[in-house]
Amino acid sequence: MNNAVNPPEEDFQIRCPRLGHKISFSYCSKENNGLPCYKALDCWYTYFPVYEFFRQKLTEEDWKKAFESKMQPKVESIVELIERAKKVKAEKL
Amino acid sequence: MQTKKIFLPESEFPRQWYNIQADMPTPLEPPLNPGTGEPISPDDLSAIFPMPLIEQEVSQERWIDIPEEVIEKLLIWRPTPLYRAYNLEKYLETPAKIYFKNEGVSPPGSHKPTTAIPQVYYNKISGTKAITTETGAGQWGSGLSFAGKLFGMPIKVWMVRISYDQKPYRRLMMEVWGGKCVASPSTETNAGRAVLEKDPDCPGSLGMAISEAVEAAVTGDNTKYALGSVLNHVMLHQTVNGLETQKQMAIAGDYPDMIIGCAGGGSNFAGNCLPFCRDKIAGKDIDILGVEPASCPTMTMAPFAYDFGDTAATTPLLAMHTLGHNFIPAPIHAGGLRYHGMAPIISQLILDNIIRAENIQQIETFEAGLIFARTEGFISAPETNHATAMVIREALKAKEEGKEKVILFNWSGHGLVDMMAYQDYLSGKLADHAIDEEGIKNALRDIAPLPKPKQFKIGKVD
Repeated sequence: MNNAVNPPEEDFQIRCPRLGHKISFSYCSKENNGLPCYKALDCWYTYFPVYEFFRQKLTEEDWKKAFESKMQPKVESIVELIERAKKVKAEKL
Repeated sequence: MQTKKIFLPESEFPRQWYNIQADMPTPLEPPLNPGTGEPISPDDLSAIFPMPLIEQEVSQERWIDIPEEVIEKLLIWRPTPLYRAYNLEKYLETPAKIYFKNEGVSPPGSHKPTTAIPQVYYNKISGTKAITTETGAGQWGSGLSFAGKLFGMPIKVWMVRISYDQKPYRRLMMEVWGGKCVASPSTETNAGRAVLEKDPDCPGSLGMAISEAVEAAVTGDNTKYALGSVLNHVMLHQTVNGLETQKQMAIAGDYPDMIIGCAGGGSNFAGNCLPFCRDKIAGKDIDILGVEPASCPTMTMAPFAYDFGDTAATTPLLAMHTLGHNFIPAPIHAGGLRYHGMAPIISQLILDNIIRAENIQQIETFEAGLIFARTEGFISAPETNHATAMVIREALKAKEEGKEKVILFNWSGHGLVDMMAYQDYLSGKLADHAIDEEGIKNALRDIAPLPKPKQFKIGKVD
């Protein structure tokens, strides 16, 4: 049986390597459209059993989406954003 | 008298950027359009980038002329000085000679305007009327706002909401230079509105801010988008750093045995090291080292191994580490340098063994930052401290080995708007959270019977 894992309190913050300033765990846990930031495991491992926490909280599908999906190169993700924005523009016209 | 700083006269400022794509042992894989599966074409990008920058993105020309109008603006602070860190050497009692390139002397205090200025210029001559971008803590947003003001180009910056609220100083810098800073998610884009409808208090994310900035560029009139790292043309613009440094090292009468830089998106590191990578490709013996944060002790303490994602060994390396009850593929260490935010040029040079990567824990980085500030005077940005910490390690290694090694590192920016991070370190808050070695040992015992990755490497704890 798994014991519930509690993350650090809101006032405990660590430096985010992506944003460049301090943030609390609640931010990292839903940074990616409600799913955890893909770096959350690496960043928080030092401070509490973050693997176990997300294993308990996330469905298998969400775990895979958050931590095991292939990272898309930046330029490819930008092309996707352009295509999405073009659709927005077309709808406006 | 010893020479502390080596200045280059403005007449010696490089007139061309160096494009390493002409010399890379393995050419970059073309990025693929996710919709078509075909290589991304200039047309795919033309909605948000002006054509001269797209041409630079794919150029195979070794040298690309820097326009006079760009040089004129870069000369506001360039060439930047190269320092000999005599005081640090003395403090460490090392025989190593330590040099650092001071990129913190630009008006915004970082290396970012070195690419912001050419990007704004090429937009200007291409008829762009406004530029959008996103920013986290604001280094890029402030750099671009500064460049926008120099060319009279309106700049709009989507800043991640949580950063907008917590980091007012960079936001104010943007506004001082006339940039318009908007908290993301915002009501100004479809992407932002959709998020706010679901969660009005959403703190935002970099992904969200990029979506908004790109949407605003595509849907706006004569509006384009700018990115401060990762892309090839950004690396290209930053090479003036390394080209200056090569001349300065020649004046000093030295050549680096080792080059160190902090590697996040890769642009400051690339700027300093790419011209030296050319020398290495041509046969010079240089150790070129990118340093990134190691928040996770598994990187340095747990067993892990790297493998390729395909049998042809052409994909980025994946690190397989085994803390927990399953193998968890995560983009860590050298693998981590290949995640979403790392420049493909740097990634490929790592694969080709031109550059190598190391990571370092944050407490060691702040210790190094303090040593540097108390010897050389400059207070470094927290990211820059990663490079400084590695320099100190290497200088102490040189002392142990009795070698007069020449170490060059890129001092990428000051930390004057990051003093809260220093406060945490000085008040012992960072030191309060030591790594739970016992916990790691227990976790490793749990997974000991599991199969190992192909290139299994034992860790330091077990």
